[in-house]
Amino acid sequence: MADVKLSGLHKYYGNVHAVRGIDLTIADGEFAVLVGPSGCGKSTLLRAIAGLEDPDQGTIAIGGHVVNDLRPRERNIAMVFQNYALYPYLTVYENIAFGLRARRTAEAVIGKRVNEAAEMLGIGNLLERYPRQLSGGQRQRVAIGRAIVRKAEIFLFDEPLSNLDAQLRDEMRTEIKRLHLEIKTTMIYVTHDQVEAMTLADRIVLLREGRIEQQGEPLELFERPNTGFVAGFLGSPSINLIPAKLVPLHGGASVVFETGESFALPVSKHGSLGGSGERAITLGIRPQHFSRGNGAPLRDGVVSYPAVVDLIQPTGTRTLITIRIGGVDAIAELQAHDVQSHGEEIALEIDLNRAVLIDPATSQVIA
Amino acid sequence: MTSPAIYDGNERGRDGRIGRMLEDRLPYLVVAPAILILLLVGVFPLIYSLIVSFQRITMTDNDTSFVGLLNYAELFKDGRLWAALGHTAMITIIALPLELLIGFLMAQLFIDRMPGRQFFVALLVLPTVISPIVAGATWRLMFDVRFGPIGQILSFFAGEPVRILWTVNPSYVYPGIIICEVWQWSPFMFLLLLAALSNVDQSQLEAAELDGASYARVLRAIILPAIAPVIAVASLIRGLDLVRIFDIIWALTEGGPGSMTETISLYTYVQGFTQFETSYTAAIAFLVIALLTAVTTLVLKRMEIAR
Amino acid sequence: MTARRLPSRKVRVLALRYVGVVALTLLFLFPIYWLFMISFKTPDEIYHVPPLWVPGQIQFSNYYVLFKDHDVAAIGNSLVVAGVSSVIAVILGTLCAYSLARFGTGGENLAMWILSQRMIPPIAVVFPVFLAYVYFGLVDGFFGLILLYTAFNLPYVIWMMRGYIVDVPLELEESALVDGCNRWEVIWKVVFPMVRPGLVATSVFAFVFAWNDFIFALVLTRTEVVTFPVQLTHYFGGQSNFWAKIAAMSVLGTLPIFAAVTVMQRYLVRGISLGAVKG
Repeated sequence: MADVKLSGLHKYYGNVHAVRGIDLTIADGEFAVLVGPSGCGKSTLLRAIAGLEDPDQGTIAIGGHVVNDLRPRERNIAMVFQNYALYPYLTVYENIAFGLRARRTAEAVIGKRVNEAAEMLGIGNLLERYPRQLSGGQRQRVAIGRAIVRKAEIFLFDEPLSNLDAQLRDEMRTEIKRLHLEIKTTMIYVTHDQVEAMTLADRIVLLREGRIEQQGEPLELFERPNTGFVAGFLGSPSINLIPAKLVPLHGGASVVFETGESFALPVSKHGSLGGSGERAITLGIRPQHFSRGNGAPLRDGVVSYPAVVDLIQPTGTRTLITIRIGGVDAIAELQAHDVQSHGEEIALEIDLNRAVLIDPATSQVIA
Repeated sequence: MTSPAIYDGNERGRDGRIGRMLEDRLPYLVVAPAILILLLVGVFPLIYSLIVSFQRITMTDNDTSFVGLLNYAELFKDGRLWAALGHTAMITIIALPLELLIGFLMAQLFIDRMPGRQFFVALLVLPTVISPIVAGATWRLMFDVRFGPIGQILSFFAGEPVRILWTVNPSYVYPGIIICEVWQWSPFMFLLLLAALSNVDQSQLEAAELDGASYARVLRAIILPAIAPVIAVASLIRGLDLVRIFDIIWALTEGGPGSMTETISLYTYVQGFTQFETSYTAAIAFLVIALLTAVTTLVLKRMEIAR
Repeated sequence: MTARRLPSRKVRVLALRYVGVVALTLLFLFPIYWLFMISFKTPDEIYHVPPLWVPGQIQFSNYYVLFKDHDVAAIGNSLVVAGVSSVIAVILGTLCAYSLARFGTGGENLAMWILSQRMIPPIAVVFPVFLAYVYFGLVDGFFGLILLYTAFNLPYVIWMMRGYIVDVPLELEESALVDGCNRWEVIWKVVFPMVRPGLVATSVFAFVFAWNDFIFALVLTRTEVVTFPVQLTHYFGGQSNFWAKIAAMSVLGTLPIFAAVTVMQRYLVRGISLGAVKG
């Protein structure tokens, strides 16, 4: 069993409180992604699990055993580093075999495992080369190969794809996902890239300033964020935040922008609100929740909004347009050919069922 | 509450109790032997020497009674000592700038790319790596009034026989020493300055070239400030070495004629190993240490401030 | 009619520089040439007035004399002393440097103290060391001299290797720790291979320093362990100097250094400049 349980973890660097009381359980075989902005403590957490850092308070348990006093090599973990950490003076074969050799594994076993891993990763023909002769993607595979052969119970990834270019990153991401499907080991993955987090994770742990902001399945965090921070962090382009007022109406509520426009909120949104007086809110609308009106009747919760197209950024299948709404710039994601030119007037539809209402004071999502 | 380690089949002695203890203490264990040797050979003799300098041990008298600063007081009355200090200062003040200048000019010649550069650099480094005794011996050969080429070359240019006894003639001993010293150590400066010049910001130089600045201005405004730290460190290192100069002088003149080229190191040697003035020599040694420490600290402080 | 192409300005400048470089090299190497040349001359040629710039023929009788008179023992002594002390200094120093670099052992103070040891003028130390050595019976023995050179090379080695070790990416060590190595194995299997160029350069420097040292060898040896520079000074007389022996011995004592340094010259520039700039 290789579940990981962190309890009450604290870590200080001098005066900086990098990790502030983290409680986290990662189930056996789960792919957990620790994600967050720089300095949120994700790397510290990973390294503490690995044993490369000592927590100042709290316990780390693997498979039910508290491992705080165990050295990294005794924790049965494997780690893939951001800069691959390949030994330049060893061949690919020797690099992969390094850990097995350190543990005095039998030669025959080494040969078998290294070749297996190399086959799985498609680098079988590179075993006699040296790292400097390999491309970035190949090096990363060797680093992963080195982790696989150890048959460790827990895999740790420290931003392994940050050094790769965009296309390679997509490729390697898919490979890592496939790897997890095949070997089903517990994997803990650190990244600052929310796309990696969304696509890879069974569970996302979003960290901020040393604390867990929210954790759960990717779509859960995406569609039902707890705070404005979560809403803003996930999703690309990021969610549009529009300052507004919530005004209760007979039997419902409406949202009023500073520019005066108002929209009625669907039941799905105002149902959960306790009715009280007016309150200030921030309305969060994702770019994908805009669409071009086609004249058909509007569903419940969808409102129409005439806008003027400012900037146009085509991405291929979709086109991003900048519009003005509620007094701020916002980005809407439409189909490729929905807009023609700058300054064009366009009738947009906004799906308020999916919108997010945030309390500006507490940053909590209220609906 | 911990439990046995989670191994994946690894049970080796190094993970036993002693192994772990050794590994935990590793930072201190690896530092210990080096520190021990440094203490033994560096510090303890110094302390012993300090004690001796407060005593009265000479060639004839093994008097270990405490006499306070008597020896140090005598230092100030010792004419030969101050002469030695003067000789040392003169050599340092003349040789160091010369080495810097020649090294700089040499570096300028090598600064741009050219085929075979590494080869010539390797050759030019050779004077620096030979023993100073060999350097002194070599120049002694070169300077020899009858069999050395220097006299021959000078005679050729002067049009008449030139017979200079470089290692004996009071007017020529210092030039002789300085020539040998500069010959041996200019390549050292050359290497350092070459590296420093190579690291000068190319974009700055290119901008200056576009602006049409003269070479003198570029030198003053861009190059010299950029290499100033290296010059400072190089001067400190080489300066200290020059104050301690011993081998070259021994090989060329042995301090002579008389004690004309006796530097402080030579004087210390004479007092300690020919006169056996143990306590007095110890005092001299500490004077030298004090002087050098003072100078070094001053220079380092100034470098810190400059940064 | 084809126009004649004048060499461009760049080519002319390059040619001039080449002339300068060659002239400079000849100038600086001339004394060394002279030294080598004398070692090959016959006594008649050596004492010829005016001096001959080229020997009639290359003959090795001067070297033969050195071997016959067992003077070459000095070279052997130097080899042993310099070789052993530089190896020990590099091993101990690199280990110490690792501790300083990765663990910050002793903090700034220890690092500064070690650096200050390098600044100690030999002349200030030679006398008390001599006294101590007499007391312990270490004079004129291999152990004493090796111990001394090791001690004097340590600060330099530590300082240099610390710089090289800091350049090794920490990830490599951490990866090894996770994969199954303990700290000792990390030093041996990861750090040492990664700093090999630095090790080589530093070893050569330590060797050259010990080889060329004169003052300690002069003071701390008598007859048993005469090293090369001291042996050389035995040839200086009051009136007559054994030029032949001086030249031949100098060459013998210089060739090993030339060989080592020329082969290592790739690392030489970095070694000197790093040691200077960082130290």
